[in-house]
This record gives sequence, structure tokens and C-alpha cells, in this order.
Amino acid sequence: MTKPPGLGIVEGLALTLRRFFAPKATIRYPEVPADVPHRFRGRLQLLYDEYGTLKCETCFQCAQACPVECIDMGGFDTRGRYHVHWGPPETYAERREESALRRSGRTVPDPAYEHWTPIDPAPLEAILEAHEYDPARLLEILEATQAAYGYLPVAALRRISQATGAWYAMIYGTASYYRQFRFAPPGDSAGDAADADSSGGAAARRPSEDAYLAALATALGGRGVGQP
Amino acid sequence: MTAVGRAWRRVTLPGKVVLVLAALAVVASGLLAAAAVLFGPPIVAFLEANLPLVRFVVAATAVLLVTVPTAFLIIYMEMKVIALMNLRIGPDRVGPFGTALSVVHGLKVLAKEDFTPTGADPVVFTMAPVVVFMATVMSLLVMPFAPGLFGQDFNIALLYFFAVGGFTVVGLLMGGWASFNKYSLLGGLRSAAQIVSYEIPLVLSAAGVVMLAGTMSLNGIVERQAGSILDWYVWQQPLAFLVFFIAATAEANRTPFDLTEADSEIVAGFATEYSGMRFGFFFFAEYVNVFVVSALTTTLFFGGWNAPFDWPWPVTLALDPGSLGILLLVGLAVVPVVGTLVFAAPFWLARSDWPTWQALLAGFVVFNLVAVAAVLGWAFVSFDWVVGLAWFMAKTYLFVFVFVWLRATLPRVRIDQLMDFAWKWLMELAFLNMFVTAGALLVVDQLRG
Repeated sequence: MTKPPGLGIVEGLALTLRRFFAPKATIRYPEVPADVPHRFRGRLQLLYDEYGTLKCETCFQCAQACPVECIDMGGFDTRGRYHVHWGPPETYAERREESALRRSGRTVPDPAYEHWTPIDPAPLEAILEAHEYDPARLLEILEATQAAYGYLPVAALRRISQATGAWYAMIYGTASYYRQFRFAPPGDSAGDAADADSSGGAAARRPSEDAYLAALATALGGRGVGQP
Repeated sequence: MTAVGRAWRRVTLPGKVVLVLAALAVVASGLLAAAAVLFGPPIVAFLEANLPLVRFVVAATAVLLVTVPTAFLIIYMEMKVIALMNLRIGPDRVGPFGTALSVVHGLKVLAKEDFTPTGADPVVFTMAPVVVFMATVMSLLVMPFAPGLFGQDFNIALLYFFAVGGFTVVGLLMGGWASFNKYSLLGGLRSAAQIVSYEIPLVLSAAGVVMLAGTMSLNGIVERQAGSILDWYVWQQPLAFLVFFIAATAEANRTPFDLTEADSEIVAGFATEYSGMRFGFFFFAEYVNVFVVSALTTTLFFGGWNAPFDWPWPVTLALDPGSLGILLLVGLAVVPVVGTLVFAAPFWLARSDWPTWQALLAGFVVFNLVAVAAVLGWAFVSFDWVVGLAWFMAKTYLFVFVFVWLRATLPRVRIDQLMDFAWKWLMELAFLNMFVTAGALLVVDQLRG
């Protein structure tokens, strides 16, 4: 059955009139931003190069910049242990070597993150209370914590981060920058392995630092800089 | 002198221009005032002696001036309405809601090169857009916008309207022929064929209305339709209205009958060689033509400036501003200040976080809105022609909307379909309508004795 003449035109007119009042499809981006949560930054993903290999160099900059600490560079090693290994920007180069080692499949000794040893929180709470939970006094807090526990347990660092509001990455960066801090008890063999190469004032110095200081002393004509 | 010279040198270049212009304006207004005082009475006497001439000049100027905002408004309306029907937003960059985009288009067209092809007849080539535009504008002269608001009340206004409107064909043929381009010539002939073909059903369908009204004066036709909505001729002449509207669509070169330009498939027809403002004038004329055709539809079939119903509660406002005398001046000085303060008070009281100047500004804006609304309302109540103009414009723009709506909906027809439709359907329907109307008039006359 065919339509009476003119009905098609009326139907078309009705359609356009409905469209006239329908909500519009235009996205008015700069004026009207999309309705997403306040801290939305898009979908996080790792990119691949044209050969299909991961482009990530584990440079830690994304983890350092992440405002909500939702990025952690790490993963499970061959023994099924979880490693988190971000740090301050000054240590990126070292950490790249670490990450290369980790990608090779071998275990990287990092006693600070092997596990969380449960600690007695009472001394730490007293320290935090005494320092008014002030992230600006982080160094004093860390020194007091090391004095109380003998080293800096991960659980203590976590608690400090939680109580002061400082990012964990900052606390870890601070603690790993100063050489008087250790992440393992002094008697621990794994912790000693890092510190054992020297006995004395050069403890916990980095190898390159020693070479640098020696060269500096030579250049300054035998006047010791930082040398005993 | 040195002080004046220093001050003059400190003024920037635009400032110098403005200062010179301001000085010229002061001198010119002074001269005008002096001339009015010295030669006022003889000038007024001369103008009174030649009133028809004055009336024509004023009407022609007014009609010419009115076409500009009309075309801009219709162009904006077309862009916006079609965009909304396409689920887009449409122009929204220039001006509030993109309303100034038509102005930008006009300036763009003005800034383009005005090109005349080698071998073209320059005089005819230049005159063609003018003829098209003038044909449209001249037909506005007899249009009754409101009671007392028309250029000229002819007794053959409708005939004049179709005759002057027919000049459009001449303009299109001139453009097509003078372009020195065979495609333009073909386009011009195609347009002429279309417009001449559709002119016949257009006029024949209007003949029924003329028979009913017994006059060809557009004013007379509108006055015959006075009363309620039931007295409009569309109820007695529905077929004529349908034929008229379809033919008018073709006459105004609107989709689905815009074969004359058909911008998306054939090279713009007669306008192929045109550029710049001459090209713009063709389309300027087209948009004014849309308004003219809508206005004629309103006049013939929808009661012109007649309101569809009587306002059930007649309001009379016996307020003559002239009778207030000096109080009017005092009121003009005092009311804005007091009104601003009164309307600013609620903002100032309710919004304690706003600074005072902001509350005052809001009060000023609200006062202006209220004042404009009050003046418009007073004019609406006090003057017949304001009411008539409001109704006339409302109906006319309703039809303009329908034209745009059709353009957003219907695809273009083929040229043979176009011709078939005009000659095999519309003309027969128009004749049928004319004969039936004539017969009905005879029967009614016989019955009434």
C-alpha cells in the first residue's frame, strides 16, 4: 500500500521539527569541558615503540609527579616478592641500572622493600608527637626514628608518610639521600652487604663519590676534603 | 598657543581623528540648527506642498533601510535553524548566540574582489544585481505592515506587486547574458523558465482571494479579513493557499525549488561569474524576497496585521506624555536614578558579598529592562500600528521559519519534475480553485438575491 501523496513530506517535516528540539550532538570543548572527576588525568597506559617493545625506561618521573601516588614503579620479581622502587630524581640513574638488573630477571637486593617488618609503633608515635607531625622537620623525625629503632623500617616510613602528609617518595628520597640512614638493621647481612665495603668514616658512601672526592683532593693539592 | 600645540601633539592618531570629527559635528549641528531657525517655515511649506513626493522618498528610504536588518535576521535564522535541525549548535562565535555572524558575512563579501570577466558587458553585468534587488525592494512599497504603516495604498497593489516582482526575471537574464559565459546564460534561462512558470499559478491562486475581497488593494484585502481568526481567507481558500505557498517557494528560489542556484550541484547558474558584493546582492535580494513572499502570504491568507482574536480585556491607557509638561522633564531626570536605586536595593540587601557598584550595576540593568518593557507595553496599548506591526511580523516570520524548515527537510527536485509540477499540477489546481470560487460566489449571490 503506497502512501497518499504529500504524506512523506509531512513525515519529513515532523522529523526535522523533532530534531529541532532534540539535544544537540556538538561537543563544545574549550567552553564546556567534559564532566569528569576533578583529578581525572585520562587513562594511564604504557606505550610501545614500532618494534613492539615497551618504551618505558623506568625513569620514575611519572611516579614522582603523580599527585595521588597512584603510580608505583615496581612489580613482582622472580621469587614472587613485591618491590616498590621509586625515589628522588637524583637517584634516577642508579635506579635505571637497578631496573635493568630487574628486567634481566635476577633479584635486586633492596632490603628496604622486601617486606614490612612489623614494628612497635609506640616510640614512633612519641617521636611524631614531639615533632608536631611537621613534614618540614622530616630530617629530625627520621634521625629520631633511626635512633629509636636502629634503622628505618618500611612500616615506620609508611606511618611517617601517613601522619605528616609527606609523599612516601619524598620520605624515601630524603632517607636514601643522606648517608647516615639505613634501611636495614646494622647486623643484617643484606644491609651490611651494601655498607660492608668500608669500615670507618666512609661507611655508606657511594663508590662514585669516593672516586670524586679522591680526584678533588688531588686537584686541591693534598688537602683532604671529607677524607679522614 | 604653545600649550594647545603641546596638548595636540600628545593626542594619539585616533584621538586626533575623533577630535576633528567631533569639532566638525559640532559645527555641522550648529549650522543645521541655524538653518532650521532661519529657513524652517519655507522648507516645511515646500515639503507640505509636495507631500506625495516626500512620502515616496521617506517610504523608499525606510524600505531600503529595513531590508538590511531583515536580510541579516533571515540569514542568521537560516543558519541557526538548519543547524539545530541537524543536531548542531550553529553559529555561536560572533555576538550573543552568534547573531552578528551575518554582519561578518556582509563585511567579508564587501572585502572580496569585485571581478568583471573579460568580454562581459560591464553596464548590464553591474546593473543585473541592482535590478534583482530593486524588484524585491519596490514590491515592499505596497506592503501593508500595519494600519497606516505602508508606502502607498494602490487600488491595484497586488497587480503592481506581481508586476514589479516579475522584474526579477529580467535581472537574472541580464546577469546570465552579460556574464559572457555559456553556463551563466544557460543558468539564467533556466531561472527564467522556472520563475515564469511558477508566476502563473502564483497569480492565479491569488485571483481567488481577489474575487472574494472584490479589490486588488492589499490594504483592502487585509481590512476584509478583519475580525477573528475565522475571517481569514485561508479557511475559504485552502487550496489557493497551498498552491500559492508552493509557487511562492519556487518564486523565491527556495529549496526544494532552488534550481536557479543549486549551490551544491550546478555551478550557481546565472551567478557563476559574479563575485564580491555583486554576488552578495543576488543573495541579499533572495533573502529579502523570502521576507516579501512570507509577508504576501500573511497579507492574502492570514489576515495581515489583524490579530487572530480580540483581546478579551480591553485596556485603555489615557496617558499622553505631552500633557505632563515640565513634569515630563523632571520625571526623565529623576526616574532613572530612583529606578536604579530601587532595583539595586534587593541585590544590595540579599547579596552581601557583592560590592556596592556591582549591585548598582545590576539595578541599572534591571531598571533598563523594565523601562524598555514598560515603554513597549505603553506603545502596544496606545498605538494601533504597534499592535498591527507586532502581529504582522509574528505571522511573517512564522512563514519565514516554514521556508527555512522546508529547506532543512526537503531535497532538491529535478528540472523536469519542477516543470511538470508547475504545468501539470499547480496550474490546474489554481484554475480549479478560481472556477470553484467564481461559481461559489455566483451561487451565494443568487441565494442572497
